[in-house]
Amino acid sequence: MGFLVTTLIFVVVGVIASLCARICCNRGPSTNLLHMTLIITATVCCWMMWAIVYLAQLKPLIVPVLSEGE
Amino acid sequence: MAEQGGGGCCPPMDLFRSESMQLVQIIIPNESAHRTIDYLGEIGLIQFKDLNAEKSPFQRTYANQIKRCGEMARKLRLFKEQMSKAGLLSSSVSATQVDLSFDDLEVKLGDLESELIEMNANGDKLQRSYNELVEYKLVLQKAGEFFHIAQSSAEALHREHASNQTGEQSLETPLLSEQEAVTDPSKQVKLGFITGLVPREKSMAFERILFRATRGNVFLRQAVVEEPVTDPVSGEKVEKNVFAVFFSGERAKSKILKICDAFGANRYSVPEDLGKQAQMITEVSGRISELKTTIDVGLVHRGNLLQTIGNQYDRWNILVRKEKSIYHTLNMLSIDVTRKCLVAEGWSPVFATKQIQDALQRATHDSNSEVGAIFRVLRTREMPPTYFRTNKFTSSFQEIVDAYGVAKYQEANPGVYTIVTFPFLFAVMFGDWGHGICLLLATMYFILREKKLSSQKLGDIMEMTFGGRYVIFMMSLFSIYTGLIYNEFFSVPFELFGRSAYGCRDPSCRDSTTAGLIKVRDTYPFGVDPAWHGTRSELPYLNSLKMKMSILLGVAQMNLGIILSFFNALFFRNGVNIWCQFVPQMIFLNALFGYLSILIIVKWCTGSKADLYHVMIYMFLSPTDELGENQLFAGQKTTQLVLLLSALVAVPWMLLPKPFLLKAQHTRHQGQSYTALQEAEESLLVESSDDSGHHEEFEFSEIFVHQLIHTIEFVLGAVSNTASYLRLWALSLAHSELSSVFYEKVLLLAWGFNNVIILIIGIIVFIFATVGVLLVMETLSAFLHALRLHWVEFQNKFYEGDGYKFSPFSFTLIDGEDE
Repeated sequence: MGFLVTTLIFVVVGVIASLCARICCNRGPSTNLLHMTLIITATVCCWMMWAIVYLAQLKPLIVPVLSEGE
Repeated sequence: MAEQGGGGCCPPMDLFRSESMQLVQIIIPNESAHRTIDYLGEIGLIQFKDLNAEKSPFQRTYANQIKRCGEMARKLRLFKEQMSKAGLLSSSVSATQVDLSFDDLEVKLGDLESELIEMNANGDKLQRSYNELVEYKLVLQKAGEFFHIAQSSAEALHREHASNQTGEQSLETPLLSEQEAVTDPSKQVKLGFITGLVPREKSMAFERILFRATRGNVFLRQAVVEEPVTDPVSGEKVEKNVFAVFFSGERAKSKILKICDAFGANRYSVPEDLGKQAQMITEVSGRISELKTTIDVGLVHRGNLLQTIGNQYDRWNILVRKEKSIYHTLNMLSIDVTRKCLVAEGWSPVFATKQIQDALQRATHDSNSEVGAIFRVLRTREMPPTYFRTNKFTSSFQEIVDAYGVAKYQEANPGVYTIVTFPFLFAVMFGDWGHGICLLLATMYFILREKKLSSQKLGDIMEMTFGGRYVIFMMSLFSIYTGLIYNEFFSVPFELFGRSAYGCRDPSCRDSTTAGLIKVRDTYPFGVDPAWHGTRSELPYLNSLKMKMSILLGVAQMNLGIILSFFNALFFRNGVNIWCQFVPQMIFLNALFGYLSILIIVKWCTGSKADLYHVMIYMFLSPTDELGENQLFAGQKTTQLVLLLSALVAVPWMLLPKPFLLKAQHTRHQGQSYTALQEAEESLLVESSDDSGHHEEFEFSEIFVHQLIHTIEFVLGAVSNTASYLRLWALSLAHSELSSVFYEKVLLLAWGFNNVIILIIGIIVFIFATVGVLLVMETLSAFLHALRLHWVEFQNKFYEGDGYKFSPFSFTLIDGEDE
């Protein structure tokens, strides 16, 4: 199912970003935690947005009705 | 408060809690005081308390030194003014010179000032006499011309006369004329004249007044001076006329002199004799050139002096400001006269203890003091200042939060989440990846030229944009993302992530404009299906989607806010707040709006046609009725009854227990404090003045009313805040509609004309509309709405924001300040 696969992609991207932040700018545990929080928040926000739009289109109640001119 | 805090509920995170602070006392020997404060200012991590608050600025110990600093700053300002007049820029070329001491600098500045003033006075005097000479020369030339013309015309007349007389000795020749001619010279001798310069705009009035005052018994000649003349008195360039007044009699002369004075006309005496005039002109020219060289030499000399000042100016300026701030700080310390030392008290972050102690040691060593400074930490119940260690990226987000209110000491900082959620909510309203890229390019310019731009002075609006460059950077990144989700690039959709899920019902595509397309493939994998664009059902569909999205995002963010209040309660070890505030709040919000969110998702996943408005409204009006066709899942009625009941229970739960529990806690505390009285005597010595607010009055009615207000606010707020999140939908709708109007009604319309000129005009209008309306105004409005959602809807769930900011004594802050 597309939903789970894309969700997994979001998770993977989030994990990779966290690892990058951990490796590239490792400045003590409290700063790393901040970076982690930021990345998780950003990933969750982006995932939510995508998931909402995806779910809304899953079983459409209304369908596109083309305009007369086209 | 300081000892109450420090609860270790979770690992520490940067920026989430303000730095733990301590009140420190430093006892500094008199002889090393100045140097100690100097070193502490370089560290910049102590906020000194004013221990002499009751004294006026003039009664303080170092008032005299501050006055001297003010005087030196005045001298420096004078130099700056002179330098900018001379067009010199202060440059710190020779920064390698040895440091001057305060007293040396004062003497030096005094010397330089008197030298400069004397030089200026001399220069002014010379310049004035030079200008006078220039005017004199002009008068000589012009007036000389009058005389010359007058003489030549007189001679011509004479000759004519003579020829007339010799030519036709007729009877008609008046006999008197000869007599007149004889008497003429004697009359001319009596005529006096005044010459000078008068400003051109006054020349007409000048002439008229002269005429009236002397009843027409004057003869005035004026000549225009082409070039503007520098007026010797005012030193400004003025357009002037040379005049020559001829009159007779002493009274007329005195009148004319007065009029000249009144009109600001400079008078210069011109010899009558033409030969003498020529001689004067050469004499004056000689003197002019002489003066010119003198003035030039003077100017060069002054320029050199200013240049040497300019080389040192910045250094001196910093030094003076530093000294002033040091003495200002020293004035805040209390003096122990008998023991010859100063006592300083102030707040400092705990992590800076080592740095401060090092600085104190260095200061003692460098000033050869025998006694070292004493550093100790005081216990206090005062609320410490709030200090977040921010960097250039986080500081602008922190400022967004601080603009609402500075966090209470060590309370959860919404700034952490604001870094992500603020640009995200902005982008929900500003979703268009074309516009996002434009914004990104603009902000990249600021970020890449950061070093250069931060050193120079920018305009007000530019300064603000530059300060928020990282906020805008994040906003643009999220806008690109949400733009991809909305599938809008300047309102044009692209099939970037695969083919549209919709297709015709049959090969002929006959009913695509009546019944519409049908879903033939899997759902479009990322974002809004491009097939929606331009269809008749686009708006109803997007409205429903974005409205529901706003609710979902809003409920999520409000839940995050309430969860943060839980972490606050955990941190401050406040069990009452967890059980009587956090839990019922969570239950109330999620029983109503959490349930609504779940219904939305269930409806999407099942494709049910249930009417959610109906479900929500009848959940309150008649919860026991059967749902009928609006049923989304089995057991929905029971679930709704349970949720409604728990929401109803949550309201009194929020309201009642907390005041009573606080009262019980208070009486228990009072019982304890009777036994602790003996120990208090020792601590009284240390905290003599800090006892305020120790045992504040416990007013039950006040607490109860406060809790009542809080409960009502939360219950009503849950509804109104959720509704408030609908602004996400409204603004994002406005943005996409505006951008599609600009695209279709400007760009496509112009394209349709098949005319290059119209196309170019169309493109220009499109660009200006896009930049002006969408990129500037829409950015601003989306920014403000995102700000509101954070300040009101998010932060009122947990943020108290009644702290005060840590403002340390630091030289780096002084350097940036304006004079």
